[in-house]
Amino acid sequence: MAGEAILETRGITKVYPDGTVALTGVDLVVRPGEIHGLLGENGAGKTTLTKIISGLLPPTSGEIRWKGKAVRFSSPREALAAGIGMVHQHFALVDAFNAVENIALGEEGGGALGPVRAASVRRRLEAIMEESGLEVPLDTPVEELPVGVRQRIEILKMLYREVDLLILDEPTAVLTPQEAEELFSVLRDLAAGGKSVIFITHKLAEAMAVTDRVTVLRRGRVVAVRETGETSPEELARLMVGEELPPLKERAGRAPGKEVLRVEGLTVPGAEGRPAVRGVSFSVREGEILGIAGVQGNGQTELVEALVGLRPWSGRVELLGKALAGLGPGEIAALGLAHIPEDRHGMGLVLDFTLAENAVLGRLKPFTDAFGRLRWGRIFRFAQELISRFSIQAPSPKVPVRYLSGGNQQRLVVGRELSKSPKLLIANQPTRGLDVAATRYIRELLLKLRDEGLAILLVSADLDEILELSDRVAVMYRGAFAGILSREELDRGRIGLLMGGAREEPVG
Amino acid sequence: MRKLAETLLALGLGILVGALVMALWGHDPWSSYAYLLAGALGNTRALLSTISRSLGLVLTGLTFAVGARAGLFNIGAQGQMLLGAVVALSCGLLRLPAGVHLVMALLFAAIAGMIWALPVAVLKLTRGVSEVISTIMLNWVAHWLVLYLVVQKLSDPILGQRTFTAPLGMRFPVIKGELTWALALVLATALFFWWFLWHHAKGYEIRAAGLNPRAAAAAGISVRGAMFTALLLGGVAAAWAGAIQVLGRFPYAITSDLANLGSLGFDGIAVALIGRNHPLGILAGAFFFGTLATGAAKMGLRGIPIDMIYIVQGVIVVSMAAPEALRLIRIRRPAVALREEEG
Repeated sequence: MAGEAILETRGITKVYPDGTVALTGVDLVVRPGEIHGLLGENGAGKTTLTKIISGLLPPTSGEIRWKGKAVRFSSPREALAAGIGMVHQHFALVDAFNAVENIALGEEGGGALGPVRAASVRRRLEAIMEESGLEVPLDTPVEELPVGVRQRIEILKMLYREVDLLILDEPTAVLTPQEAEELFSVLRDLAAGGKSVIFITHKLAEAMAVTDRVTVLRRGRVVAVRETGETSPEELARLMVGEELPPLKERAGRAPGKEVLRVEGLTVPGAEGRPAVRGVSFSVREGEILGIAGVQGNGQTELVEALVGLRPWSGRVELLGKALAGLGPGEIAALGLAHIPEDRHGMGLVLDFTLAENAVLGRLKPFTDAFGRLRWGRIFRFAQELISRFSIQAPSPKVPVRYLSGGNQQRLVVGRELSKSPKLLIANQPTRGLDVAATRYIRELLLKLRDEGLAILLVSADLDEILELSDRVAVMYRGAFAGILSREELDRGRIGLLMGGAREEPVG
Repeated sequence: MRKLAETLLALGLGILVGALVMALWGHDPWSSYAYLLAGALGNTRALLSTISRSLGLVLTGLTFAVGARAGLFNIGAQGQMLLGAVVALSCGLLRLPAGVHLVMALLFAAIAGMIWALPVAVLKLTRGVSEVISTIMLNWVAHWLVLYLVVQKLSDPILGQRTFTAPLGMRFPVIKGELTWALALVLATALFFWWFLWHHAKGYEIRAAGLNPRAAAAAGISVRGAMFTALLLGGVAAAWAGAIQVLGRFPYAITSDLANLGSLGFDGIAVALIGRNHPLGILAGAFFFGTLATGAAKMGLRGIPIDMIYIVQGVIVVSMAAPEALRLIRIRRPAVALREEEG
C-alpha cells in the first residue's frame, strides 16, 4: 500500500494550545490520480487535518510522508513548492485584480507584473485552461465574477503552481448544484491526468458521486476507509454519526399545548445573494422542544437571526398570533421571545461590561426611572439574584464578565434570558464549548422549563444534544428542512442520512 | 490598575525622552523642567492660568471620549470648536441683558456644534461613510469658513489682528486672575458626561454599542441611535470648548490667525487618550497638558525652545497608544486562530 501512496500520514495528533484535542492518531493514504473524500461532521477534524498537510498548522505529533519521503512543512508556501495546494472555503483573491494578476501574485521569484511577464503568465494559463478544460475569464476583475468562477480561479492558480495534490475544503458549500456538477467534472479530468485530490465534505451524495475512496473521521479519529464503489450512503451516514443512542429522557410534564410560534414559508437571504433559508415552515407549541439538527452552515444561523429580528426575511412568522414582520429585536423580545445566541461572546454578552451590566442587557426598562436614570441598586440586587439562582461562580456583580469561565458566562446569559419570563425560548448551540457540568446543568434546565410549559426551539450541531432533548426534530440541509421527525421516528441513521442531504436529488 | 500604571509609564517615558532631547541640544533638562513647573504651577497666578488653559482641552477631550465609547473615532472636535467660537462671538452682535446674553451665546454655540456634527452622523448612519473621513473634511470647511468670517466680517475696525471683543454682559465673570467661571461650565459638563454614561440608560446603550455592537443590536439597542447621540453630544462639548475661549478667556475675541483657538480640537484626542476616555481621567489629562502648555511658554522666555514640549507630548501620545494597539493585536490574534470553524 505504501508504495502506491503519494501522500501518507502516520499517527497525526493535534492538540490546540487551549487543550482541545482535534486529531488523535490519524492515518491517511492518498494515491496518485485519486479523488479522496474526507467525510465527517462539524468538529470531526477534517479541516485541521488538511491544514496540517498543507503546512498551515504544525502537528503535535505524527509523520507526513510525501512522495515517499518524510516531510515537515513550516508554511503553506513550502507545501506549495513541494506540490501540495489547498483551496480554502474563503478564497484568497484580491477583488480588484483579474485572474492573471491574482495568479501571478505571490509567485516565487515573480517580481513585478510588467507587460512582458503578464503576457507569459497569460500564455501559460491559456495552455493550462485548454488542457484541463477549466475555463475562466482572464481579464475581468474578480469582484465581478460569480463565486463558482472565483473558485475555478483558485484551482487554476494551484495548477499554475504545478501541484500534484489539490485539497478542496468543502468546495460545494458556496456553489449552486450546476456549478458543483461542473466542478466535479473538472476534478475527474484532473484525476484522470494523474493529479490527486482531497475532497472535504459532509455531504454524502457528493462523497458518493465524485470520490474514489473515502476516509471517515469522527471526533478526531479515523473510523473507516472505504472504496466508494463498495459502500453506500447509509453506511457512510452511520460511520459519520456513530451508532450509540443516548438514553431517552422520559417526559414528566403534560402533552404539548397551544401553538406559540408559527412559521410559514420563511425565506432568508444569505451572503452571495443566494437564500440561506428557503421556504421553511414549522411551529413550536407550549411545553415542547423542537430540535433543529444539521451540519453547521446549512442556514440555522440565518434562520435564528431572522426569527429574533436581526435579519431581513420574507414569509409569515407569528408569535402568539402576532405577526413579526417589520419588528426589530427589542420589539420581538417584548412580545415574549428570549434568545440564547450561538456566539455568546459576539452576541450574548458585552465582555467588558460587568456582570451586573450584562444582567440587564436587553431588559433595561424595569431598571430605569421615568427620566431614563439607571437604578443601580435594583440592578445589583437583580444580578445577585441571578448569581444565586443560576449558581454563577463570580466574586461580585461588579466583575467584568470577560473574567468568568465559559460555563458561568453561559449561565448568566441563560439566567438573564429566562428572567424575561418568555413564552418562547430560542436556544442556539446552548452548550457549545462548555464543560461537562455546565452542559448537564443547561440541558436539565431546558427540560425542566419545557415541563413547565415553555416552548423551546433548540438549534444544535451536536446530534446527541438534539436527540436527548427534543420532542420533535427537524433536519436542516441547504436552507430547507429535509424532514421533521417525531420522537418515535427518531433514529440516528435516518437523521445522519438527512443531514448528509440524502433526500435531495443526488448531485452526481 | 494596570491601565493606570501604563499611563504613568507613558508620562514618565515622555518626560524622560524630552529630557534626553534637551540634553542633546545642550539644555540642562532638569532646570528646564524646573522652569516649566515653576512657570505653570509655581504661584497662584500661574496655577490659575494653567487651569484656564486646560478648560478647553477637557471639553474637546470629552468629545472624543463619548465618541470612542460609542465605538467611533470622532476627530471632528476641531471644526466644531472653531464654529462654536465664531458663533458665540457673533452673538455679541445681538443686544441682550447681561447674563442672558452669555446663556444665549452658549446655547447658539451648542446648536452650531450639533449642526456641524449632524452631517457626520447622517452620512455615517445612512451611507456608512467613515466618521474619520467626514470629520477631517468638515474640519477644513470649518477652518476656512471661520477664518473668512474672522478676517472679513468680524474683525475689529481699529485692531485688525483680532475680531471685536465679546460684550461684557456676554463674558464669564472672572474668579481670580486668568480664571473665569467657565470653570463651572466645564466641571458641570464633565460631571454630566460621567453621569450620562454610567447612570443613564442612553449612556449605557452608548457603551454597549461601542464595546459590542452585535450584542447591543441583539439586545434591541439601536446602535445607530447610540452613535447619533454620541456625535451630537460631542458636538456640543467641542463647540463650548471654542465658546469659552471667546467668552471666558483673554482677549475675549478671536485672533485673526485663529491662534488663540489653536489646535484645541486635536489636542483633545491626546487628552482623551491619557484620560482613558473617562471624564475624571480627562480632567487630569487636560490639566497635565495645560501644565505643559503654560510652562512651555515660560520656559521659552529662558531661551529653551517650546518645541521640546511638543516632543514630550508626542512621546506620551505614542507610548499611550502603543499598549492599546498591542492589546488589540493580542486579543484579536488567538480569537481568530481558535474561532476558525472546523469543517
